[in-house]
Amino acid sequence: MSSDYEYSDDDGDYYDEDELMDQDDQVANHSADSAPSEEEMDIDAFDLPTKGKQKSYHIESTTLSKHDLERAMDENIEYIAGIFGIEPEVASILLRHFEWNKEKLTEKYVDNPTGINAEAGVSAKPNPPRSTTSGSSRSTRRTTPASSRSKKSLSVEGPFVCPICFDDTQTRTLALACSHKFCTECWTAYATNKIRSEGEFKTTCMAEECTLVATDSFIQSVLATDLPTFDRFKELLARHFVSCNRKLKFCPYPECAQTVSCPAAASKFALTTIIPIVNCGDEKHKFCFACPIEDDHRPLICSVSKLWTQKCRDDSETANWIKSNTKECSKCQSTIEKDGGCNHMTCKKCKYEFCWVCMGPWSEHGTAWYSCNRFDEKESVEARDAQSKSRASLERYLHYYNRWANHEQSAKLSMDLYAKTEKKMEEMQLTSALTWIEVQFMKKAVDEVFRCRMTLKWTYAMAYYLQKGNEKELFEDNQRDLEKAVEDLSELLEQPIDTETIGALRQKVTDKTVYVQKRNEIVLEDSAQGYLEGRWKWNTPVEGFD
Amino acid sequence: MDARLRRVNKEITDCKNDKASNVQIELIDNSPFHLKGTFQGPEDTPYEGGCFDVDIVIPEAYPFQPVKMKFITKVYHPNVSSASGAICLDILKDAWSPVLTLKSTLISLQSLLCSPEPNDPQDAEVAKHYMTSKQSFNDTARYWTHIYAGGPEVSGAVKGSKVTQDDAEQDEIAMAGLEKAHVDQFESLGFPRSKVIEVLRRLNYRGANVAKINEDRVVEELLK
Ligand SMILES: [Zn+2]
Ligand SMILES: [Zn+2]
Ligand SMILES: [Zn+2]
Ligand SMILES: [Zn+2]
Repeated sequence: MSSDYEYSDDDGDYYDEDELMDQDDQVANHSADSAPSEEEMDIDAFDLPTKGKQKSYHIESTTLSKHDLERAMDENIEYIAGIFGIEPEVASILLRHFEWNKEKLTEKYVDNPTGINAEAGVSAKPNPPRSTTSGSSRSTRRTTPASSRSKKSLSVEGPFVCPICFDDTQTRTLALACSHKFCTECWTAYATNKIRSEGEFKTTCMAEECTLVATDSFIQSVLATDLPTFDRFKELLARHFVSCNRKLKFCPYPECAQTVSCPAAASKFALTTIIPIVNCGDEKHKFCFACPIEDDHRPLICSVSKLWTQKCRDDSETANWIKSNTKECSKCQSTIEKDGGCNHMTCKKCKYEFCWVCMGPWSEHGTAWYSCNRFDEKESVEARDAQSKSRASLERYLHYYNRWANHEQSAKLSMDLYAKTEKKMEEMQLTSALTWIEVQFMKKAVDEVFRCRMTLKWTYAMAYYLQKGNEKELFEDNQRDLEKAVEDLSELLEQPIDTETIGALRQKVTDKTVYVQKRNEIVLEDSAQGYLEGRWKWNTPVEGFD
Repeated sequence: MDARLRRVNKEITDCKNDKASNVQIELIDNSPFHLKGTFQGPEDTPYEGGCFDVDIVIPEAYPFQPVKMKFITKVYHPNVSSASGAICLDILKDAWSPVLTLKSTLISLQSLLCSPEPNDPQDAEVAKHYMTSKQSFNDTARYWTHIYAGGPEVSGAVKGSKVTQDDAEQDEIAMAGLEKAHVDQFESLGFPRSKVIEVLRRLNYRGANVAKINEDRVVEELLK
């Protein structure tokens, strides 16, 4: 209840979604290109003592609000400012230059403070910039020899003419420590362009080849009348900080301003044994800490999930064909459209009952459901020994893909179903004796079905890559038990609701929900344990496995 | 007045008034934000005597964003695309500073012609030519200057190829910086001349490279 409201006051409302998504991309790229190595950054404050009795599949994480994040940045800044006796603003610029790696900065700074100050733009470079009017200033690519010219060039007598806008009526000017003077308006336009158009927090002096970096208070003063842009500046700083720290990630949900800390997922190696599905404190904002796959892709680890999504993209043509929402009744050939999450289909025309997934008669599924989750490779190969091998492998893929896509689609449809049901529940609340709390069983059940279908979906991707053998069979047994339970619950949810039977239905649905939840936990827990024990073997090379 | 407009107008006027300057800026249409810059090819370079036109577009956020420039006149240079005139120069990108002006940028372009940066090429084929044989590269660049930039006629010899007196006629072989003997050699095997030129240019069949490239390899490429 509370988590929904805790952070809403400091949501960054002023920028639109696209802008934020772009930022996310940049951050993602950044961390992929220049990801700091594991030991480089250490923000001890976020390390939690591992609690004793958590489920193996549950990965510990903490949430940081915008303020928590700023505090964490400040702690780093104060630490550096303290040990070197420098201004916090200077420490901040140095830290950014070193991608927030305190240790590296400390080490280098002790050696050569003057050099580091110049390199980071804290103090001017020893050789002053050449005058811009001198003709052959071709480019900074050429390192010009230190021509020892004094700094007087811009201290003009008479009326000041801003070298940017050529306006001689400007009276308000500003300069960084390098004394390169420009009118305030140009500074504002320049900083705004950096921050808004380039998404850049580092604003250097406007003079050619002057590398001095503007301090935060300087930026604040030139943006005094444009708070949203200054806030954006702070946002960029925070994003940079997060991208430099492997333990941190922004919640990818567009409207969200939370950051998640997940030390367990900070090393690449750890990702062969855990799947860091976390949330930002809001249960709905669930995401994988380590990869760009939006889904909760448990029980399949990140690297194999990526293989699978890549494969699905490559085979999208076949996938499209499979994905289609309609199928033909295998008895009367009339077209049947799937309209709920349940796989138990009844042809409207001939009343034939069948399973949407395997198209086989439903009657067999009560006892022999396994025939629908397990691709009998041996039989399939034998039956089609005339067919080429590639055909067999395509069919094998389609077997898993079909089920994978089906659970995804069913999960979506069950949400639609819920929307319909919710309306009905509201009415019932008015006409029956049930309270608001009592009608929540429906929501709980639908949420659980959704969650489990996500698990099931990824169990099919996992089964596709699992090496044949006992372990895979046990995995598929668990998968089958969960699938059967989910289909049963789904079917219950599609039953008509009326006042007389609601009490009984409620009991049934509630019991089944508990059962389904248990089955899901078994799948997740067993697969998580399997990773820790090194039990899972793949039929394709996977990084970190042998 | 709009700061961008004031600045650009001032830049255009200053440039007009500066009689000593060898850089000109004029309007292309009625907008002061789309201009044409012109400068002379620098002395003691293969571009000497040529007159080079540059297309200039002033972006919305000028001068806080770099001006957009590309050559209108075709130039044979490692940092200029021989096809599109696009320029690879740091001040047109990251190293841009708002204190730079149209004039100073054009002067930078002029000095780019003096000192190519083949390690950061815009046109890889031209850069390879430059790296392989400076002499042959200079001949070709001079020939381009003559054909496209109104430079002086190439005196005597672009090696091995006869330059016709008629200015309008362009010698394909000289344009590509190749030697006539080489082109003739493969043409005589029955391949069309344009194809031979295309392949030899791509393979950088020039100078010391000729010895390194097996003739079978050339034929193989020609057969593709
Ligand atoms: Zn100004
Ligand atoms: Zn400066
Ligand atoms: Zn969130
Ligand atoms: Zn992942």
